[in-house]
Amino acid sequence: MTFTKLIKGALAGAVALSFAGVAQADDFPSRGIEFVAGYGPGGGHDTMLRAMAKIIQNNDLSEVPINVVNKPGGSSAVALGYLNSHKGDGHFLISATSSFITTPLTSNIGLDYTNFTPIARLGVDPELLVVNASGPYKTLDDIAKADKVLNVGGTGTGTIENIVTIKLAEALGKKLNYIPFQGDGEVVSALLSNQVDFTITNTGPVGDFIKTGRFNALAISTEKRVELFPDVPTFIEQGYDINLSLFRGVVAAGDIGDTEKAYLLKMVKAMSETKEWQENYIQPNSVVPDFLGPDEFAEYLKGMNDVYKASLTNLGIIK
Amino acid sequence: MLDTLASLSGGFETVLTFHNIVLIFLAGIIGTVIGALPGLGPSAGIALMLPLTFGMPHASGLCLLTGVYMGTMYGGRITSILINTPGDAPAIITALEGYPMMRKGKGGLALGISAISSFVGGFFGLAVLVFFAPVVAEYAIFLGPPEYFMLMLVGLSTIVLLAGADVFKALIVTCFGFLVSTFGSDYISGHVRFAFVPELIEGIDFVAIIIGLYGLGEVFYNLERKIVLNLGKPNFSFSDYIPGKADLKEASAPTVRGSILGTFIGILPGAGATIATFLAYALERKLSKKPETFGKGAIAGLASPEASNNAAVPGSLIPLITLGIPGSGGTAIMLGALIMFGLQPGPLLMIQSGDVVWAMIAGLILANFFLLASNVLLIPLFVNLLRLVQKHLPSIVVGLCIVGAFSLNYGTFNIWIALIFGVIGYLMRKNDYPTGPFILAVVLAPLAENYFRQSIMLAQGSWSIFVNRPVSLTLVVFMVLVVCASIISKQFLRRRRVGTE
Repeated sequence: MTFTKLIKGALAGAVALSFAGVAQADDFPSRGIEFVAGYGPGGGHDTMLRAMAKIIQNNDLSEVPINVVNKPGGSSAVALGYLNSHKGDGHFLISATSSFITTPLTSNIGLDYTNFTPIARLGVDPELLVVNASGPYKTLDDIAKADKVLNVGGTGTGTIENIVTIKLAEALGKKLNYIPFQGDGEVVSALLSNQVDFTITNTGPVGDFIKTGRFNALAISTEKRVELFPDVPTFIEQGYDINLSLFRGVVAAGDIGDTEKAYLLKMVKAMSETKEWQENYIQPNSVVPDFLGPDEFAEYLKGMNDVYKASLTNLGIIK
Repeated sequence: MLDTLASLSGGFETVLTFHNIVLIFLAGIIGTVIGALPGLGPSAGIALMLPLTFGMPHASGLCLLTGVYMGTMYGGRITSILINTPGDAPAIITALEGYPMMRKGKGGLALGISAISSFVGGFFGLAVLVFFAPVVAEYAIFLGPPEYFMLMLVGLSTIVLLAGADVFKALIVTCFGFLVSTFGSDYISGHVRFAFVPELIEGIDFVAIIIGLYGLGEVFYNLERKIVLNLGKPNFSFSDYIPGKADLKEASAPTVRGSILGTFIGILPGAGATIATFLAYALERKLSKKPETFGKGAIAGLASPEASNNAAVPGSLIPLITLGIPGSGGTAIMLGALIMFGLQPGPLLMIQSGDVVWAMIAGLILANFFLLASNVLLIPLFVNLLRLVQKHLPSIVVGLCIVGAFSLNYGTFNIWIALIFGVIGYLMRKNDYPTGPFILAVVLAPLAENYFRQSIMLAQGSWSIFVNRPVSLTLVVFMVLVVCASIISKQFLRRRRVGTE
């Protein structure tokens, strides 16, 4: 060790010592960071967090280990409760999708999105309007002109698919008969066998069917066309004001310090910019990368909360 | 057909390496143990193995997952038969006939017969998977909510068969089952029902119910009276558990029927292995010349459901690999695994990654042979292990049940659920209320409810949808005929009895 290095080291040590008593947050992270999945292993939340943890560790984006922990139960309610019990502690990060908004709205867990600290939105899952290629509807216009009430397939009630259908019905000025199915698989079967006239569904389960020409996508719910489906026009292009997608992001516990927040943001942002993230997560899961930092994400969550609250109230699910 | 065989032999070439053979063998054993543990079933087994597959070549990883999946179907029956605690949902029916056989000192034989029928079921399902996968998947998707609703009705009608002596008591527990199944969020209306605590938003975990009802309930009941299991003399001879000619003859036709039924129920995206076992059991009881032996250790009632739950495994892989549609909890997790491996499940999977898929199928065929061998050879071990721990069996069962309930969600909530249903199970047994109709209602009622509502919604309010569709109409006619036939035959019998008197 040279003399200058020794001096530098001693100085750094002295500085660190002198600050130690002032702000404990400078020690952050003082132990491993926990990534909390609100659903069991193999589910969407778990898959995303495990992919993130692996990339963060492979690229040394954090000096402490990352542990993925599953807290399944209650459509994320258990995980939200767990995160809330660690208020002010930045060592926890939870995956947030629609259930982050809808579970607090439809149940009485006494928490909502404002009890947590948004860190980043990583991307969105756009919704596609998909028809069976053998059916009579070739464009959104054909659907608008159909002279009967059309059956629309989607997953569950009060979901983003349901809300897009409601907005579409308003925009078209005609009645649509929405039928909730359990899971994407049942929606795809229903369209394959022509039990429904079209479906509103996220891109993953229908991508291959569109490539092979069995399904046609007539519209996408993003603001602009996406790279994955360059030929699919947006609803907005076709004159229907629908810009609603499922979001995928990460959220920390409430009341955490600025240092913690900045550290988590830096780590997640660096992770989202790696090639591995594009290749191992974004592409295979057909996610459209669309990064938002803490403030924009908080703003976005507020907007989503309003959309869901209004729609769920209209559907009579919440009072 | 030749193309298929060529692809399959290509698959075997990939699989027949030392590393892969050892892996598939271990996968089968791990699956058997996971299946045998109460609470851990196919979904949990596949999920637990998932992280191990990340560093592996894709074919090996998929072989590990499918091997574990098939292994759980073999494993579930072991605890069902030996200690009346179904290891997982598809093994519930196995306990109905297997445990009475065990108490008669024929536990080894029950394990032997069920291992063989499991093998035959798995083999039949695999044959259909290999030769007809794309064709049957295209037809299976044409069954929609109306057909599934009719299928669930057929399933629910078997409550009469499971009722035992007192039909009124059976109806009471059925209603109770309906009530229990309504807890949690309802995806059709979006409403959350009876969620007094957040854990109930997703409903009461069905596996926690069976752990309590059968495992803990049995222990509580036995505390009142000293029951000594009839385990036979300590004996390691094969003759005890290798079924004789007469037993095999009795089991053969039910095994074949169970295999066919299991495969096709497995293919349907809206049904699964558990429902296949219920229907297989009901079918056997209806066809049996000695229906009075059911519930007391009937070989037919053991063999057919065991064949059907194994046949459902390859069955449920068919829509997964040909269309990317998962037909069961286990295949839903495999769908996630395929995506993680970078293989896109869907209609292009067989074209783009055919080699990996065929290697997986070849691995599954190999796993089925390994599982038969290991399960038959391990029977003396299981039976003698039970003999060793017999004095402490209640504490061991309670321990397994609590660990199993905990492992469902890694929390204490499901332990409470299991305890509550343990007490309910005890009260039901003590007062002679049958548990079969209750479980059937818990499983089938929410499915029947949702399929009914979807059907009516699809028809935009009209009931005609149930008779306008050929398959649905066939099922309606079939049910009407069965009901008429049983009424007429009862009348006929009564008249004849009056005549002879």
